Amino acid sequence: MEIIGDDKKLRALYSEAKVADQSATPSFTSVWHRTQARSLKPRRAFNLSFALVTALLVLTLGSLAAWSIYSNRSRPSQQASTNDSAPTNPAPAEKKAVETPKDKEDVRTAGALPATGDDRTARRSVKPRVRRSVPQADQQLLASDKTAKETTIGTWQSPTVGLLSSPTDDLFKSIPQLNANTNQMKSSLPGSSNDKEK
Amino acid sequence: MKVDPMEIADLKAELERLHSASFGWALSCCRRDATEAEEVLQTVYLKILEGKAHFRGESSLKTWLFAVIRKTAATEYRRRLLRSFRLTGNTDEVDDRVSPFESQTETFERSEAQSHFQGALKELPRRQREALHLVFYEDLSLREAADVMGVSIGSARQHYERGKKKLRESLTRLEMGYGNNWGRQETPSAV
Repeated sequence: MEIIGDDKKLRALYSEAKVADQSATPSFTSVWHRTQARSLKPRRAFNLSFALVTALLVLTLGSLAAWSIYSNRSRPSQQASTNDSAPTNPAPAEKKAVETPKDKEDVRTAGALPATGDDRTARRSVKPRVRRSVPQADQQLLASDKTAKETTIGTWQSPTVGLLSSPTDDLFKSIPQLNANTNQMKSSLPGSSNDKEK
Repeated sequence: MKVDPMEIADLKAELERLHSASFGWALSCCRRDATEAEEVLQTVYLKILEGKAHFRGESSLKTWLFAVIRKTAATEYRRRLLRSFRLTGNTDEVDDRVSPFESQTETFERSEAQSHFQGALKELPRRQREALHLVFYEDLSLREAADVMGVSIGSARQHYERGKKKLRESLTRLEMGYGNNWGRQETPSAV
């Protein structure tokens, strides 16, 4: 019951406040007219901060696109200039690559290195893109490398292959004939051949 | 998006009917700042006129309007706070402003019980103050109050009960404090 009494007291305080607020309430008509005036007022069509952010975004995207296009175009032209200049004035690294095609790493770097000093600035700008996009010329170079690699693997021999050969290799490699006569069998033994030699 | 003129005419009549209650609610949402409350109300009407706030009939018009007022008041407060941060670097301007409404109702505020009551209300957390206002001032049910506040009915009930308890305690404390002071003033030679 005490709570109900308290509720009544609170309600009375709130209604007292409500009466005071109502006396201070601005008329609906005036508020509505001001709202309509606000809605009719031309708004600033140009939002400066929005325009700045948009411009910055467009600039960033544009420069990024231009950089990627430039780098893609400069790569083949650079490659072509390297190939053209190679016979006339070969760089030491490239010369080495031509002489010893076995060394794959040299060949690859030689393809990426410019032949003349004029291309150094272009090389600097292109350098980070080398691993990302491999142009067609580089791909061909890599394919020839692969073939060379395959051939060398086919003829490869272990350094310890000499230890596997011994004087009795023939004995192990030849199979004795069981139906042959004793003399023939003896002749195949290493001891008898040694005796004969002696 | 523009709203149909017929629809606007109907809405205008309804808004006019609810204008007084809307202002009271806006006043509560704006910490009893009448200028800010009026501004918020204008912004709400503008939103309705431009169709940014559209009543879909999912709840009663009153609860929908009150929810829009509450959100707009919160947005306006944040904006004002940011502006004051940018201009002065502190928030004192926002809170310490003297409201013209306070001077208008100075005589009313001078009423003993009301001044205690307004002081006790200021001590309450925002949610509790909102729940009490919606139930006692606007005569809404707890479900409607929950809809306006954008919380579940259980949560609204908790805010309401806690707020009521806290308000009662504050009022008792203030009245007791006032009684003691008054008693001392009446008998100054009793010390």
